[in-house]
Amino acid sequence: MTASLPILLLLCPLIPALVIFFLREESDLLRTVINLGSAVLKLLLIAWTIEGVVRGEVFEYRLEFVPGLYLLLRVDALALLFITLSSFLWLITTVYAIAYFRGSENLSRFFGFFNLCVFATTGIALSGSLITFFVFYELLTLSTWPLVVHKGDAKSIAAGRTYLIYTMAGSAALLLGIVWLEGMTGPIEFADEPTLDDLSRLSLTAIFVLCIGGLSVKAAMVPFHGWLPQAMAAPAPVSALLHAVAVVKAGAFGIVRFIYDVYGIERVAELSLGLPLAIVASITIIYGSLRALQQTDIKRRLAFSTVSQVSYIALGASLAGPFATIGGLVHLVHQGLMKITLFFAAGALAERRGITSIDQMVGAGRHMPLTMLAFSIGALGMIGIPPIAGFVSKWYLGVGAIQGGYGWVLLVLAGSSLLNAAYFLPLIYRAWFVAPAAMPEGEAREGPPDLILPAVVTAFASLAVGLFAGFALSPLGWATLIVEEQYTP
Amino acid sequence: MSQEALLILAPVVVIPLLMAFLALLPPMRGRVLDLLPLAPLPGLVAPFLAPPGTALDAPDLLFGLRLEMTGEGALFLGFSSALWIAAGLFARSYMSGTRDRPVFCAFWCLTLAGNLGVFVAGDAATFYLAFACVSLAAYPLVVHDRSDRAMRAGLVYIVLALVGETLLLLGMLLAVAAADGILLGDIRAALGASTDGLTIALLVAGFGIKAGMVPLHVWLPLAHPAAPTPASAVLSGAIVKAGIFGLIQFLPLGGDAGAWGPFLVMIGIFGSWFGILVGLTQSNPKTVLAYSTVSQMGIVIAVIGAGLQLGAGAAAAAAVTLYALHHGLAKGALFLGVGVMQKSGRKSAGYVTLALAMVALSVAGLPLLGGALAKLAIKEPLGGGLPELLVTASAAGTGLLLLRFLLLVQDMRSRVASRPPLAMSLPFVVIGAAALVTPWLLFETWSGHSLGYAFELGNLGTALWPLLVAGVLAALFLGFRPRRVPSIPEGDLLIPVEALTRRGMAAWRSGAEQLPRPALEIRRPLLTAAGAWLGRVEGLLARWAIAGTLMVLLLLAMILSGTLFG
Repeated sequence: MTASLPILLLLCPLIPALVIFFLREESDLLRTVINLGSAVLKLLLIAWTIEGVVRGEVFEYRLEFVPGLYLLLRVDALALLFITLSSFLWLITTVYAIAYFRGSENLSRFFGFFNLCVFATTGIALSGSLITFFVFYELLTLSTWPLVVHKGDAKSIAAGRTYLIYTMAGSAALLLGIVWLEGMTGPIEFADEPTLDDLSRLSLTAIFVLCIGGLSVKAAMVPFHGWLPQAMAAPAPVSALLHAVAVVKAGAFGIVRFIYDVYGIERVAELSLGLPLAIVASITIIYGSLRALQQTDIKRRLAFSTVSQVSYIALGASLAGPFATIGGLVHLVHQGLMKITLFFAAGALAERRGITSIDQMVGAGRHMPLTMLAFSIGALGMIGIPPIAGFVSKWYLGVGAIQGGYGWVLLVLAGSSLLNAAYFLPLIYRAWFVAPAAMPEGEAREGPPDLILPAVVTAFASLAVGLFAGFALSPLGWATLIVEEQYTP
Repeated sequence: MSQEALLILAPVVVIPLLMAFLALLPPMRGRVLDLLPLAPLPGLVAPFLAPPGTALDAPDLLFGLRLEMTGEGALFLGFSSALWIAAGLFARSYMSGTRDRPVFCAFWCLTLAGNLGVFVAGDAATFYLAFACVSLAAYPLVVHDRSDRAMRAGLVYIVLALVGETLLLLGMLLAVAAADGILLGDIRAALGASTDGLTIALLVAGFGIKAGMVPLHVWLPLAHPAAPTPASAVLSGAIVKAGIFGLIQFLPLGGDAGAWGPFLVMIGIFGSWFGILVGLTQSNPKTVLAYSTVSQMGIVIAVIGAGLQLGAGAAAAAAVTLYALHHGLAKGALFLGVGVMQKSGRKSAGYVTLALAMVALSVAGLPLLGGALAKLAIKEPLGGGLPELLVTASAAGTGLLLLRFLLLVQDMRSRVASRPPLAMSLPFVVIGAAALVTPWLLFETWSGHSLGYAFELGNLGTALWPLLVAGVLAALFLGFRPRRVPSIPEGDLLIPVEALTRRGMAAWRSGAEQLPRPALEIRRPLLTAAGAWLGRVEGLLARWAIAGTLMVLLLLAMILSGTLFG
């Protein structure tokens, strides 16, 4: 049983994916049942796994597919952090997507690839070796493309092309780095400290740049972020998936994995690679915010906000030191919760009221109070207002930066907070505090519930993880656990 | 002990939060205003039940939330709650029949929860949470009228509040890192031990914005008059005090803070005179009161500065607390009085003016009234010399300023003969009387002097001469009636800054690719260019070839840096 748990976790989205591909377009009910059933089942499995990990059990599964080359699935604390987040958000996104796409076409294709995408993300979380990680990472790229081009119009196709070019090139760099590294040391497993002492300083640096550079394409770090705003052509559930659950997160997760479990924090510090990465992350944070401020389209503004916010994770990892590391890790979860809330809300606004640009937000609070409440909580959290999740990340990153002697990072955090306020508050202001010129009469009330409630649920989740941060099983508690393992070998 | 703390301390914050939630429930719609005077009750009771040192820990909340009753905190909590109750009662009558009452009440209770939370917070994160809550939740109160004036005041308010929050966060992060813990006691100790000027600068600026420290006061004369009258009363009486309380909680009073002591004394005294001089040019009674708050808070900041300078921290903190108590109650009463005046006909206006004059004289320090005792209490901590003389003399200015207020408020009275409703006049009278009386009850404990000290001839003289000067000046002014009185717009220093910011923002936006061409009125070529440049950079980066080249360059740079630094 112990060994098969990782494989069960993987099969949970894989089997529905394969089944749904062959479902007829009309069988809505069956598709919905399969989708929701597998998502709930997966959450239950995860609860079971967490219970096991807390008891100290180790879950590992090896699958040899070529002699000498095997896939290694392993559950550790970091994997659980990511997989819990992605599975929870998967369930909610599924509910949202079903409501969002009600009555539209090509749904079997969509949900098939959707599940495949989640399968790849699960694989990324559970990978125990570099090669396994790379395999699932590529699978993710491929399974996301059909989602990006789902609408099939010229804009989506162009966005899909850009997405492929960026991510494929990134993957090439990553593969080069991995091959170079493993060529010198043999297969690398995350659980064992690899022996990198034989490699020269120069090659270590080059490999680091290749791998982190490759990963940072998906993490949308400047200057490799260009695909993300373009991909906004995709429908809202896909955006939510790209920004909060799978793609961008996979990149950030990869950076964290690479720094902690391949090179190790000490080696990164010794090679003085942390500081350059921290600088790139900081530039991304500020640049993304400045660009977001210039956008008038809500979804584009959110996209640039993601560019900015995801780099907090890389920033935390690159600064080293326990507090900054906790701050970065916990932001993996926090950013996911807040950003998915914003996308759910933006999607609902566009779907129900046709609101896509900032000027149209006027009076939205009166028409769709729950949606706007959720949006406001998410946006305030992004700014870093306590007790919403973003505040917790910022606090730990800030304290960690000071402890590590990087005082200038505080300026980045402060600048980012103020810029976040500058580009989110005008939306909230228009929605709540400006009365619409004319109340559109006779329009339907806010609804349907499965379109509105997902945003409310994630909004309250982002409030709860901040308010109850001291709780042992909160994301903060879990991140602290991971970091304690990291620092007390 | 813990049980007791849970029952006494938790409701101070939890009850207002619950009521904020209740206010939004549809069944409450009709009676929502009744919640307002009830919500602060636990805060009024707690100081009497919980001795200083009572603490409540909730390790699961935030980073280990701690509520703690301190000596100063108890007093701040008590008088603020009293004012909130009075203003709540007043609002029940004043706000009835106005629009959006549930929303107003919800944010009122939320602001209240934050305001009282500041006074009982025992750790930095909780303190910051409460402070952010009071700052942001007050915005809907300021803009409640939705008039152009209120919206502008709200914009200035929210921008400064956010800047203040950010500065405060940085200051707290530095302090927490230095103290290696989040408990306020540890932080104070760590700040006292270190000579880190930056942390203190950030904290002073962050709290200074809330406390109306010149030149960060510009939101105050806009927001106070724009808000509905009961909200103005709590803004000026209780919310501004959150900034003062922050200063005495975090700054290492009694320790050596280097140049910060003299600096705060200087900026405080400057502020006290600046508030008076600008206030005298105003023509709206509520704006005059707002500037009077700026001036009075200047005095408080000077006393805090003196406490940093001379090492007499405990005495300064105690004196500041007493002074804040009197000012909070008195200024709250004066604002409520404006509202009462609006409902008074010619006949009852006389009584209202009389009551306002009593409170005003107390603020100016007329002997035997509460304010005189508060002024006596800060005398010693100020440490004599020029600062004390300037503060004493500022009482003359305060006298003139409040006289101006009394004259202006006459225009507010109702045209029809009417009597103000008891629901409005009673809170006004009670809170005004409390301002005159409470300092008598607390003086001996909080100043270290016996009451006889207040009757010493020298002290009576110090309190009286500024008022005489004020009287003479007023008589001269009224006698000569100068044709032209200079008039400074509300918000004084803000006006040029605002214009500059507005143009800058427009210029920045015009750089985005969505706008076809920059608007004509923009005359900020540099920012326009920068905005457009950013747009072009994005266009370049979007081309993969260039991103690829950059990656190679980045690789080279990192290898170089690796070999150089290694």
